[in-house]
Amino acid sequence: MAYSKLGLTKTLAYRGISLVIVLLGVLFLTVIVLGATGVSDRILNSMLTEELRGIRQQLVTQIKDVEQLNKALESIKQQLIIAYGLDRPWYERLPNMMLKIITLDLGSAKNIQSFSGSKQISAIILERLPNTILLVTTAIIINFLIGLFAGTWVATKPGSIVDRFVSLYAAISYAIPTWWLGLINILVFAFYFRLFPYTGMFSAPPPTDPLLRFLDLLWHVSLPLLTLIIALSGSWIYITRSLTVTTAQEDFVNVARAKGLPENLVQRRYIVRVVAPSILTNVILGLAGSIGGAILTETVFGWPGMGQLYYEAIVSLDEGLILALTYVFTLVYVIARFILEVLYVIVDPRVRY
Amino acid sequence: MSTLSEARSEFWRSYTSKVGTFFIILLTIISIVVVLTMPLDFGTKYWSNPIYWVDNPKASPPAWINTLMQDKLIEHQIISSNAPAQVEDLGGSYMKQYILTYDFKYSQFPSFLTFRLTNLVFYDKPPIIRVYIVRPDNKLVSILTYPVTVEGLNQTSPNVLFKSEPKRFLLSGDPSLFRALSDFLYKEFNIAYSPEKVSNIGVEKIIFGIPQQDGSFKPLNGKYQVYVLMYCDNRDDSIGDVAMVFGGKVYGLMGTDTLGRDLFQGLLFGFPVALLIGLATSILSTIIGAALGIVSGYVGGKTDLIIQRAADIVNNIPLLPLLIFFTFIFGGHLWVIVFILVVFGWPGLTIIVRSMVLSLKSSNFVEAAVAVGASSGRIMLRHIFPQVAPFILAQLIFYTPQAILSESALSFLGLGDPSIPTWGQILDYAFRNGAVYLGYWWWILPPGLLIIFSAITFVLLALGLEPVVNPRLRRRR
Repeated sequence: MAYSKLGLTKTLAYRGISLVIVLLGVLFLTVIVLGATGVSDRILNSMLTEELRGIRQQLVTQIKDVEQLNKALESIKQQLIIAYGLDRPWYERLPNMMLKIITLDLGSAKNIQSFSGSKQISAIILERLPNTILLVTTAIIINFLIGLFAGTWVATKPGSIVDRFVSLYAAISYAIPTWWLGLINILVFAFYFRLFPYTGMFSAPPPTDPLLRFLDLLWHVSLPLLTLIIALSGSWIYITRSLTVTTAQEDFVNVARAKGLPENLVQRRYIVRVVAPSILTNVILGLAGSIGGAILTETVFGWPGMGQLYYEAIVSLDEGLILALTYVFTLVYVIARFILEVLYVIVDPRVRY
Repeated sequence: MSTLSEARSEFWRSYTSKVGTFFIILLTIISIVVVLTMPLDFGTKYWSNPIYWVDNPKASPPAWINTLMQDKLIEHQIISSNAPAQVEDLGGSYMKQYILTYDFKYSQFPSFLTFRLTNLVFYDKPPIIRVYIVRPDNKLVSILTYPVTVEGLNQTSPNVLFKSEPKRFLLSGDPSLFRALSDFLYKEFNIAYSPEKVSNIGVEKIIFGIPQQDGSFKPLNGKYQVYVLMYCDNRDDSIGDVAMVFGGKVYGLMGTDTLGRDLFQGLLFGFPVALLIGLATSILSTIIGAALGIVSGYVGGKTDLIIQRAADIVNNIPLLPLLIFFTFIFGGHLWVIVFILVVFGWPGLTIIVRSMVLSLKSSNFVEAAVAVGASSGRIMLRHIFPQVAPFILAQLIFYTPQAILSESALSFLGLGDPSIPTWGQILDYAFRNGAVYLGYWWWILPPGLLIIFSAITFVLLALGLEPVVNPRLRRRR
């Protein structure tokens, strides 16, 4: 990465802009696909029918005459058709639709409700988003730490049995579907050993005492976290190990050793400090996978986050919700990615020149 | 890498390559055998047709678990015959006799009993079919009398019944069998049980057991002969297949799901599908990725800029949400899934190949080719491509597991191709039917292990290829 040639602000601005392009690109693509396949017409029509039904219920109490009622409804319907843009072809509605989604005006879901009973998609998503962030972030941080410590430790004994085991473990973890491992963990730890709950985030009803509530959450999050750690830590350790082994052969490390610096100081200041930014790069590259992977992990563990919502949206064939979620997933990714880029600048002095 | 044979010996040196090669051969052989022996419309015709599996026990573990257990679970058996053992001339009419022998050697009773008739052909008058069982203690149990009835009898040509759909008699719930067994108990054991009581006890216990003092039934082990008699007027009347289904608690090599589908067959069919999706996706995205990378690196300028920006953007898209979105909109047809995986799968390779080409571009042999007057296309194809080819091959193999895993993830979310059973779909169905909460391990473990097996095959091959492609990683000799 040619960061050093650019200024710091410029670097971040450049990354920021390209991430926004990613976001808009995804949005543009999804909206075009929805329009061209006629799905957007279907979504709008169902929204229209839903709204009309509400209006009808209101009007029935005011207008008693059936003919008059139908007439009034018909004129409202025509107004709504124009308001929704259903009288125009889809490509003319496109800018408006994109604008609506960008401003998070996401419409309402078909039959999925928020925990507080709202059908507004933005309300549903806002409720679930923190749960996803909690699970995914915790998993990434734990895996990052395991990778950093185990990886640098393994790197000090290249060719040993531990080293070979780590390579094998990494190869296997690349091939294991995380969601399947989740199923197996439920089978083993919830069904056979009865150690952890099958699904959910809290017991029903959730404890009211804050400490008990926290412990309950901890108990519920253990199995999904364990799954994410077993499935993904292998490659983390392996990548850190490879980076560390390369760095450990560099001249400046040899100089540090030759100077007689204690080994743990060499490890900490001369190796880990240099390797950390590269590992962070790896976090950045793995982020898309982690966020997408939440869809499967949450589904398996009944974790009430965005991923499980996505699954519910697929099962109930809710196009509007799926569109909104695809956008929000990309949005979350873009924001998280930008935070990491900033973090990268802090960790890697070379970028700050 | 100087010569091909050196590369081969370098590849063959590592343990992972050997295991990987063995696995890929195994995978290929199984896939070929499956394609040759199983019907290609297996998915639509059999797998997603519940009636086809109706004789099987539901959600049963595989039969081999009996070898690990003290108390043997009763095995599921379907015993059938397609030719009469004996034909008797009764003077003007005939009796055809089919014999089915069932070896009952379990401490449990069959869980259900079904009699099945397939492809009945008769000419003049509908035949009458009678079924009885002779037990090991030589007692005779009358099971069924079925006068064949037909609407609109055909007098000139043969009448064919139950050809596409066999006639099934669910004996476990047959009221006339309750009455027959009530009579049987009174006659043979002097026990007076009403037909209702027989229904409560279960016909299997009475047919395959001996009543005890305390009112329970003890299994009577030994050989049971099921006699199926057809009384007919024409010597050419025939039954294509008679069968008795002795319901078990374990089934076959891999068990069954909640619809009674034989998981072994579903899992087998998954082999060629996984291989096809994995290879088709990785080959296509590697071709596109490598071609764009070479062009981007060699041509440079605006072309380079556009390709790299596009690659950067596509590479940064969170794949799974978009994959879900597109398969949802376009339908989960196999080729749609492959197409979408290819569309989002090329950028990684493009970025790496471009940087390799950039350094090759300034090398002597390329400059020499330019000096001689070779065209850009020729240089890219004949001089640059062979240099990066080994690396591209390694990437192709490395990308295959990702394609297999992505497809299984989509299938697990219920977005797979409904006409083709895949391992991911089997897991999807298992999850939706609560297999993990009910402990149906045989339904969850094998499909996942097969996904891992097919994915790891390519991971091992890629690992074996790594030192060949990247000579710095070669072990010192």
